[in-house]
Amino acid sequence: MTITEAPTAQRSKPLSKWSLYSRRYFRNIPATVALGIFVVLVLFAVVGPVFQKWDHIELDFLSLSDGPSSEHWFGTTNSGNDVFAMTVEGLRRSLMIALIVSTGTTVISAVLGGVAAYFGGWSERIILWVIHFMMAVPGFLIVALVTNGSGGNWFILAIMLVVIGWMTLARTVWTLSLSIRESEYIQAARYMGVGSFRIVLRHMLPNMASLLIINFTLGVVAAVNSETSLSFLGFGVRVPDVSLGTLIAMGSSVVTSAPWIFLFPGAILTLLTVSMAFVADGLRDALDPNSAAGGRA
Amino acid sequence: MTRRLINWLVIIVVSTNITYLLAWNFMDPRSNYIGRRPPLSPQQITDLLEPRNLSDTVPLLERWWTWLTNILLHWNWGVAPNGDSVNTQMAARMWVSAEFTGATLVITTIAGIALGVYTANRQYKTADRIGHFTSTITMNIPPIVAALGFVLIAIWINDAVGTTIFYVTGPVGLSSEHWWVPVLDTLHRLILPTLAMSLVGYATTHFLQRALLLDNISADYVRTARAKGLTKQRAIRKHALRTSLIPIATQIAFSIPVIFLGAVLSEQIFAWHGLGEYLVQTIGRNDVHGTVAIAAFGAFLTAIGALLADIAVVALDPRVRVN
Repeated sequence: MTITEAPTAQRSKPLSKWSLYSRRYFRNIPATVALGIFVVLVLFAVVGPVFQKWDHIELDFLSLSDGPSSEHWFGTTNSGNDVFAMTVEGLRRSLMIALIVSTGTTVISAVLGGVAAYFGGWSERIILWVIHFMMAVPGFLIVALVTNGSGGNWFILAIMLVVIGWMTLARTVWTLSLSIRESEYIQAARYMGVGSFRIVLRHMLPNMASLLIINFTLGVVAAVNSETSLSFLGFGVRVPDVSLGTLIAMGSSVVTSAPWIFLFPGAILTLLTVSMAFVADGLRDALDPNSAAGGRA
Repeated sequence: MTRRLINWLVIIVVSTNITYLLAWNFMDPRSNYIGRRPPLSPQQITDLLEPRNLSDTVPLLERWWTWLTNILLHWNWGVAPNGDSVNTQMAARMWVSAEFTGATLVITTIAGIALGVYTANRQYKTADRIGHFTSTITMNIPPIVAALGFVLIAIWINDAVGTTIFYVTGPVGLSSEHWWVPVLDTLHRLILPTLAMSLVGYATTHFLQRALLLDNISADYVRTARAKGLTKQRAIRKHALRTSLIPIATQIAFSIPVIFLGAVLSEQIFAWHGLGEYLVQTIGRNDVHGTVAIAAFGAFLTAIGALLADIAVVALDPRVRVN
């Protein structure tokens, strides 16, 4: 009986974590295109003011309610504001609110959900009660009331959107953390004497990183949508401050006579939400921790 | 069941009262009368507001007590600063909203389930990929942009054809000797908003149905059914689809508040005088009682939806037994 040599599998070297993620992400064509669009939009918001010929509060009394021209690329409003400058300013404001809201909700729900699951007992009971109570409270109404009362301050709007927006994700984090809490490496860390907060921050949350990152991207979409809806109804950002929502509200009343006031901000808003959705989609595939491919793209 | 009912009752009562206190904190009915020509003296404003239980000269606790006893004893939800009864407004607008969103709910549910089943049967094939791509886009078009975009296109088509094919506003209260004239007019005016809301709404059901059906197609009991000789179509329809419809039923039950309250933006854009429009108006007019009534109605509908969802699960899922 001869001992046959086990055939050594011709396996390529496992990729490093980041090149694996990026290779998986960039082979998804819609996600790559969407990331490109998103980068262009951010650049448009950041360096747009360099190209604009008019300031967003400047009035051009010689062209009221004019269509797009070489002087006013996106046309003007009926009081002579340059729509291009206003769109740049509005996009910047909307993006800023969306990033604050999405960061805030992700951080709060990650910490609270993780703490509730890891510590259990009283802290868990209190946090869960707060979550259930906040879910029953009419959130939209409260944001509208508070922002309306504050006179349309965009920062208060952002804070209020965080206050009513963190519960669902916190609950998801809580359920996931419950199962992670029982895994061996957490037990090991606990017996090694690692502090509780350190375990939550260094061992439990990184294991939910993919969930948190994807929810962050989707949170940006949700925040942009809430902000523009509230501003559209007059309960969010208010004149003289500009956001994409106030611009669309301005355009909606003259949608037949001056469609460009609605069309340009509307198109930019749609590009923003749709591209973020495709980025989230691509990230979901790229960061999938349960992928069967095992270290290969 | 009784425990659930009591639990929901407590939530409704608590959230309604909190909204009442919050509304008073941020709304000032008195400010409606500031700047009137001819100007009203503070005493005159108080005289106007006091019988309506909206005057801030009365202590908040007393106002709250009057408001609460009126609801509990007379089912009277109070009046707006201008004297309109909240009860009348709510009762009338509720059905306008239901008319407005009913067709959309039916269309999005049926289209979503159909697309979900179709694409799940062809996972990762061309049809599935195209469906996924388009649904991701439509789901993320902001509802305002979709509604205004449809208005623009409709007006453009009307201009091109020369007659009014699409109406972009709500019913105007036609009077006619035939009962079907106003009904047809309402249906005609529903076409455009229904299209706009269905376009952005169907994708949620599509993705949910696809994911659920895929989970069930690979389940053991479907493989057993196939092993016993059922065709793939039959195994999916008789076994996998039935189980995967249960969460969809739950989702429909939870969308009951949306039927009556949901379309704030669309009602505003298409000028339908439903509860969504009422909500915007009450906040703008410092109408404390109206705002609170809408919040209470919303909480009530959420409770009904949650309870119906429980009942649907018990009725449809043979694995769940009533205890």
